Amino acid sequence: MSTTPQGIHSLAFRVMRLCKPSFHVEPPFRLDPSDLFVGEDIFDDPLAASNLSPLLSSHVNKSTDSSDMTFANRFLLHHPSDAMGFSGLLVLPQSFGAIYLGETFCSYISINNSSNFEVKDVIIKAEIQTERERILLLDTSKSPVGTIHAGGHYDFIVEHDVKELGAYTMVCTALYNDGDGERKYLPQFFKFVVANPLSVRTKVRTVKETTYLEACIENHTKSNLYVDQVEFEPAPHWTAKILKLMNSILQITRQLGKEIVKPPILVRSGGGIHNYLYQMKISSPGSEQVKAKRSSILGKLQISWRTNLGEPGRLQTQQILGNPSSCKEIELQVLGIPSLIILDKPFSVHLNLTNHTDSELGPFEVWLSKNSAHEKFVMFNGLQTMALPAVEAFGSTDFHLNVVATKLGVQRISGLIVFDTKEKKTFEPLADVEIFVESD
Amino acid sequence: MDEPSPPTNQFGSLNDVAHELASLEDLASRGSWRSILDKVSRARSLNLLSNPHDHLIYLTYNVLALSKLRRFADASTDLDTLDDFNSHYYKYETYPQLYPNRSGSMLPFSLRFIHAQLPIKLGNRQEGLDRFYSLLNFIRQKIKEKESNNLHDSVKIWKRRENFVLNCLIGHHLGDKEFILCLDLIKDMINRDYLDPLLVSKLGYIQMQIGDIEGAKGSFNHVETMLNEGKNDGYSFLSEVQFKNLVNRNKALVYVVGKDYVSAVREYEECIERDHTDVVAINNKALCLMYLRDLSDSIKVLENALERVPTRALNETLVVNLCSMYELAYVNHSEIKRTLNNWIVHVAPDDFDASCIRV
Repeated sequence: MSTTPQGIHSLAFRVMRLCKPSFHVEPPFRLDPSDLFVGEDIFDDPLAASNLSPLLSSHVNKSTDSSDMTFANRFLLHHPSDAMGFSGLLVLPQSFGAIYLGETFCSYISINNSSNFEVKDVIIKAEIQTERERILLLDTSKSPVGTIHAGGHYDFIVEHDVKELGAYTMVCTALYNDGDGERKYLPQFFKFVVANPLSVRTKVRTVKETTYLEACIENHTKSNLYVDQVEFEPAPHWTAKILKLMNSILQITRQLGKEIVKPPILVRSGGGIHNYLYQMKISSPGSEQVKAKRSSILGKLQISWRTNLGEPGRLQTQQILGNPSSCKEIELQVLGIPSLIILDKPFSVHLNLTNHTDSELGPFEVWLSKNSAHEKFVMFNGLQTMALPAVEAFGSTDFHLNVVATKLGVQRISGLIVFDTKEKKTFEPLADVEIFVESD
Repeated sequence: MDEPSPPTNQFGSLNDVAHELASLEDLASRGSWRSILDKVSRARSLNLLSNPHDHLIYLTYNVLALSKLRRFADASTDLDTLDDFNSHYYKYETYPQLYPNRSGSMLPFSLRFIHAQLPIKLGNRQEGLDRFYSLLNFIRQKIKEKESNNLHDSVKIWKRRENFVLNCLIGHHLGDKEFILCLDLIKDMINRDYLDPLLVSKLGYIQMQIGDIEGAKGSFNHVETMLNEGKNDGYSFLSEVQFKNLVNRNKALVYVVGKDYVSAVREYEECIERDHTDVVAINNKALCLMYLRDLSDSIKVLENALERVPTRALNETLVVNLCSMYELAYVNHSEIKRTLNNWIVHVAPDDFDASCIRV
């Protein structure tokens, strides 16, 4: 990682990324004596079993004893779980690894004097340089390091929250007086690249008064991400509620073992995904409501995760945009339908049209659309288009449609179109209405 | 040529169990695997092994030695010289004059285990896992059989083998980062009453590895409860000192996660005070010192351990950590690593993997 030769310098920087250590795991070849010395079914013979047990157990005890100075612990099992090869031994990071946006970069920096003489008046600096900025991590000019004797070293640990993507350079510099009293300047450069750990895809759907936001988080890193917390921060005037599958059945609490093993949300490395569903509503009524609906900003998603040994990461998405045209300007409600509908006999449907905007809309024309995959068995009786006057801001108007059904059984009034003749805008504000058509 | 003496039921010493078993066992304890290969080769060529069970035990030691020396292909070849493991050639009742009143398989169970693990070490992971899962089924069949025949000692032994194979499987899945599967397997073991503090602690380590810190804390609390409730007779594998150290080490890990390395060091020192051979505490303490910017002391802790308790401290992980520290502390680290290498060559067992020194 270092790109500066240090032939003429007494000092040199040694650097190691200090992310959390990992657990060592490697299932070994370790055995129980009764699986090695004797046949596997010998214990069927009670005489052999009773004679063998003391011999075998004395053997195991010998190797568990802390005064045992043999390497028996490398091939005999002390405990069945030794076979896992997972004793809790920690290992230092063996390579720089990948570093992602939202994580904290931590590094051990050691400056070594490999010469045979003392160096004096040492001043050390460490700085992170990215495309956009330079951040000072360390500057010892106020509290000087002073002298480093021959063969000695001085150590630092620096930390930096990674908030930018792309190429980074950590520049470590030392100013010092060498053995000859000459003032020397040593710069060393360590480069690394910061990548994006996640991508978030969103879908917005509106059903009646409610907006649903579906967010899909995809993991691009090389490790599994334990998703600690995903919080949606709604924009002003919105409220959000997360919709979750009732997972009490998935939480296993055992009274016997008092063990709670909850399945964690672990997003698989290299492309694993997890979905979140939020139900959003306007929290404040009236004109604020309209403003909120017109603006397409729904809010932001805050994601925090953990990797190896709880190494944390945090990211916030950009503002998530909703679908402004999906907000309802016009609402159509069915106020009344006769309980008895007879085949081929016209009937009246009582409807109410409400204008949810802050300006007058209309006048309107209402008709049943003819573009449909199915043949229509419910249609207007008489004029195929109905005219409606304009409706003032936040106002509503009642009207009746004269309708007739031409087939028996369960039928639908579908494809009702409301057309604003002034703005030349089409609304299809009514879901299918089911009716039951009986014979005479 | 001597008449083969029929095997005895009086197992007073290891040599009563198999031909010169005490010598084989001594060599194995010292890690002298190459000498074991020599001894087996000699016994075979001089026809010193008279009984079928001697042949099998010598074969097991041979295959084990080759595996320990990481000569996995050779180990596999030697194993393949055997017939089907369930063949009548390896059953006591096939030789009634040699093993009067004894029946069942004389195959050492280790052969089945090594047979499953070798493909994984040879890079054929799927084959190895399949063999392990088949072995698990085989064991469960055996347990049912022995239970229905009221063979209580055998049932205990085979249940221990079931536990053993489950642990192997968890280890292999862990190595491949299949964490959810590991959690499921451990859950299964806990349900089968294989509830023991070491297992629950390892559950905690896995939870920590994936980042579920709250889950890990819960598991560790459970282990501490087990200690406080004094249920030590159920866990005869652990002495009181070992149990207490386990609890301290678990606490230390929680501090490590919270970056409170000072408290972690304190916990580890308590462990070392109680048991100066607690290598996990020693190794992890050294790492914490490093995270506290004290590279010199972290190196000293590891070097002291190697000097004081080499037969415990000499493990590849500790050496890897020491070498990483050397690489950080010394510009000319090759020299000091060579010194370490020379010392290890004299002290280490044959199976020590010196490639960890990266000279």
